[in-house]
Amino acid sequence: MRRILAGALLGLALAGAARAQEQPLVAALSRTDIEVTTGFTGASLVVFGSTEQPIGPGGDEVIVVARGPTRPVVVRRKVAVAGLIWVNGPSARFAGVPGYYVLAGTRPAWQILPEDQRQRHALGLDALPLASTGARSPAFRRALLELERDSGLWIEDSTPVEIAGSRLFFVRLPLPAEVPTGDYRVEVLLVRSRQIIAREDLLFRVDRVGAADRIATVAQVQPLLYGLACIAVAALAGWLGSVLFRRG
Amino acid sequence: MQVYLPIAEMSVDAFLLMAIGFGVGWLSGLFGVGGGFLLTPLLLLIGIPSPVAVASGANQTLGASVSGLIAQWRRGNVDAKMGAVLLVGGFAGSVLGVQLFALLRRIGQVDLAVSVFYVVVLGTVGGLMVMESVRAIRRRRSATRRKLHAHTWMHGLPLKTRFRKSRLYISVIPPFLIGAGIGLLSAVMGVGGGFMLVPAMIYLLGMPTSVVIGTSLFQVVFVAANVTLLAAVQLGTVDVLLTLLLLVGGVAGAQFGASMGTRLRGEETRALLGLLVLGVALSLLWGLLRRPENLFSAGPAW
Repeated sequence: MRRILAGALLGLALAGAARAQEQPLVAALSRTDIEVTTGFTGASLVVFGSTEQPIGPGGDEVIVVARGPTRPVVVRRKVAVAGLIWVNGPSARFAGVPGYYVLAGTRPAWQILPEDQRQRHALGLDALPLASTGARSPAFRRALLELERDSGLWIEDSTPVEIAGSRLFFVRLPLPAEVPTGDYRVEVLLVRSRQIIAREDLLFRVDRVGAADRIATVAQVQPLLYGLACIAVAALAGWLGSVLFRRG
Repeated sequence: MQVYLPIAEMSVDAFLLMAIGFGVGWLSGLFGVGGGFLLTPLLLLIGIPSPVAVASGANQTLGASVSGLIAQWRRGNVDAKMGAVLLVGGFAGSVLGVQLFALLRRIGQVDLAVSVFYVVVLGTVGGLMVMESVRAIRRRRSATRRKLHAHTWMHGLPLKTRFRKSRLYISVIPPFLIGAGIGLLSAVMGVGGGFMLVPAMIYLLGMPTSVVIGTSLFQVVFVAANVTLLAAVQLGTVDVLLTLLLLVGGVAGAQFGASMGTRLRGEETRALLGLLVLGVALSLLWGLLRRPENLFSAGPAW
């Protein structure tokens, strides 16, 4: 992995040097397909690239933000009924919540961008546009952020974008086993004197493959067939067990 | 060894699932019940979402009960006619139950409903079993026999039929209602219902103990199949990989349990099972009463 990365960085550096005049920022992903098999326990992918001007203290800054597919989420708050039993009470429904959100920068985004820019580009968990219906309290939004952070699917400034030499950068994005499947977008932003001066959009996909994919697809497309198959498989396993153990 | 469950969309240790299957299978072999009432709470405990735990639990119960049914059928311990009546009720009940479950999921109270059902049903059944078996152990000492057959209001109902294997001449209404009630509970709780059906057949219907286990397995297999099918079609929450991993351990465990069960006396077995059922009910009750660590929870919106 390290060697591949080093080679890729070198190749990119050479290519970058040749094109440096016309492009202030070049970026790429170490892989564009994450395959979720039945043995999937998480993966990671590296965002890397080079810039025309030196990056780091005193120079340009790089921000990397990755977003996963969105889905609606309901946040519920438990309340004690009659001061005794805890049941789900008020709820807030958030539409379009990204199932994955990672923000990393050579420095935290709030240090290198003006607040209005940061809000407009949704750089930072507190800047995510999360419109909700239902319960109004801001506690629901806070709880959503906390729950997503705890699940390891929302990460903000946990590891900085690293700088190699003065024009190469890279950052590793962790993809835990719970990553949702679908299309992901990675934005790489180049910041100079508190302005975004260049950006690059990169895409990757997380896909179920092999048995995991076939099972999920059949369950979704042919639910009746899948249900019958589940019954047959379970009955067969039970029968097989009784036969095996009677002999043994 | 981590395995990614395609429907639950999470990664779980396969050996942990097999061990849970083995433990539950061992107990079910020992006590002659499906073991779903232990399995579903355990699955919830390791973080399987409740819709998947309930549906896959029913699927696992089906597999675990098939081997028992085959053995009982061979010995002629299945009252197919009584089983059929229970089954018709069971189908009606499980259709209702799956609708109820879908409704609960929409309003966000699945976890509460599953817990409350467990606490109430397991608490009642467990309490009754312990009381009854303690009384039976006492009676054994004092050596007085109870009346074999008592006539109650149930014998005045219409639609009377003869159930030859059970040596009963009763109305089909009580078994139908019992079947429907248990079908409903199995859909919401992800259990086959054996632990409720066995006492119901003995004490409510007055069936002889020899045919009770076989007939209950007959009903459980078909009700669990129906719940599996309905859950797969309506909710899409049956995880076949989860089911299979549980079955691998469960089938082996059931054999060990069954061979051990033959060395225990009936009353002691029932008392132990009753205590186990009560224990599960109490731990779930504690989960409802304790102040949750995080008051907030997030889930997919439907």
